[in-house]
Amino acid sequence: MTLPAFNLFPHLLGEWLKGTGPESDIVVSTRVRLARNLKGYPFTLRATPQQRDELMLAVSEALKAARLEKSVVALKLDDVHAIHRDVLVERHLISRELATAEGPRAVVFGRGEMLSIMVNEEDHLRLQWIKSGFDVDRAFKALVKVDKALETRLPYVTSPKYGYLTACPTNLGTGIRVSVMVHLPALTLKDHVQKVFKAAEKMNHAIRGLYGEGTRAFGDFYQISNQATLGRSEEEIIESVKAILPKVLEYERRMRGTLFSDERALVEDKVFRALATLRSARMLNVQEMMSHLSLLRLGIDLGFVNEISAKTLNEIFILGQPSHLQREEGREMTPGERDKKRAELVRSRLVVGRN
Amino acid sequence: MICDCCHKNEAKIQVCDVEQNAVAHQFAVCNDCMTLLKRLVFDPATPLIPTADALKQVQAMLSSKDKNLALPDAPGALTVAAAKPEAQAPACPTCGMTLSEFKQRGRFGCANDYEVFAAHIDPLLERIHDVTPPQHKGRLPQGQADTSATDKARELAALRDQLESAILAEDYERAATLRDRIAAISGEPVLKSARPKKGGK
Ligand SMILES: [Zn+2]
Ligand SMILES: [Zn+2]
Repeated sequence: MTLPAFNLFPHLLGEWLKGTGPESDIVVSTRVRLARNLKGYPFTLRATPQQRDELMLAVSEALKAARLEKSVVALKLDDVHAIHRDVLVERHLISRELATAEGPRAVVFGRGEMLSIMVNEEDHLRLQWIKSGFDVDRAFKALVKVDKALETRLPYVTSPKYGYLTACPTNLGTGIRVSVMVHLPALTLKDHVQKVFKAAEKMNHAIRGLYGEGTRAFGDFYQISNQATLGRSEEEIIESVKAILPKVLEYERRMRGTLFSDERALVEDKVFRALATLRSARMLNVQEMMSHLSLLRLGIDLGFVNEISAKTLNEIFILGQPSHLQREEGREMTPGERDKKRAELVRSRLVVGRN
Repeated sequence: MICDCCHKNEAKIQVCDVEQNAVAHQFAVCNDCMTLLKRLVFDPATPLIPTADALKQVQAMLSSKDKNLALPDAPGALTVAAAKPEAQAPACPTCGMTLSEFKQRGRFGCANDYEVFAAHIDPLLERIHDVTPPQHKGRLPQGQADTSATDKARELAALRDQLESAILAEDYERAATLRDRIAAISGEPVLKSARPKKGGK
């Protein structure tokens, strides 16, 4: 089946995949999210389709009044093809839950893809700001600006005791979730990731693998985020996430140093085998692509590979995702077709002498 | 009493499910098992599951002998107040949410539910957010924000409310914690005679 056009993104990569920003050798991106609900409506779970429509209208009018509507793209997700909704998930603009949910729901996102507002997710509003690198303060500041612009026009439901009321008690209070996406290939290779997990839990933070089941993360990407949202101020929560990061960074860098000095031949071999596979494979599934890219990224950081840029890796990373491939091809594809197409994409981007 | 989960350590905490406004299943667990249990039952990513199922998962984790699951100390001593059966815990008049539906879905239906189920919420919030008593701190929309002076008065009033209901519910561990908090905030001494004994099971 052919797909309609879906070219809403002015840039190949969202800002968070630019590979810039503080500590970007390890920290891919920083995301801050706020959960908000409006007075006068039941939470999404109990809202009627009509109430959900009204709510979307109220949000779009608030955006207009705040003079934000010119700088954003607004999409009613019922009008968007399922594959294109997945494209939005792959770009971290919406949650998988919102993509697969039913009923009136929408997303509003900024042209740089840093701001995104999900409407009628589990909470009425989920505001998020993503930046590349480790940059919590700036992401939070930018997001609060949007939140303040909306709060004068949309009455949020709050209480002095519980703060911002949310559908799930795990988000109650500040409604804030600070998530830092880190790439930990050396800790993974050395089998030390579990120690990081334990340290994070001690500080009341959660860490989980991205792109995979359980603790086994494809591509060695992990997400560190605060657990508690009630009883601490936004600043205190941000500080506590900021406090754990240097430890994780130091640990990963130390392991990279060990790999470089003590196990150089072994790691070099892994890196160049990964590169060879990426340059030769005729079928490549997404997990395979991501684990090889992870090693390649490590190889670039350790200085083994010089002719490939981090930007190229990030482009492959996003364009090789299943729904991005199908959008590019303009039709639905079987997994086998996708693996073939993915291998072609990767080969063409990693041609010797291209970069 | 021996832990219902690992059958090894001494049980320190009572856990129970509340169904149809009554205690349905009751368990006694040790601190280590409680830490694991807390993670399973209050994992924000999943809806609430029955305690019995969660205990089975904890047992599986323990028997997997994965040393990576070895426990860090729980952040702050964890006391879980066994929720007492409420005489009347009706459905929310606004959205029809009941306590058992909430337990099943892990989501509320409307803002009013926080008031309707107030008595059940606070112990839950204490566990999820590791904070006693549950009291918001941080931003509020402009016009709703508190000044710090009234903050303190408001917090004390809320604490005294909660203390009263804890005593009524004969939940002395929680009452003791609340009393300490009130003393710390107000600077007033605690009435020693009113302090209940701790830990006697
Ligand atoms: Zn035990
Ligand atoms: Zn309700």
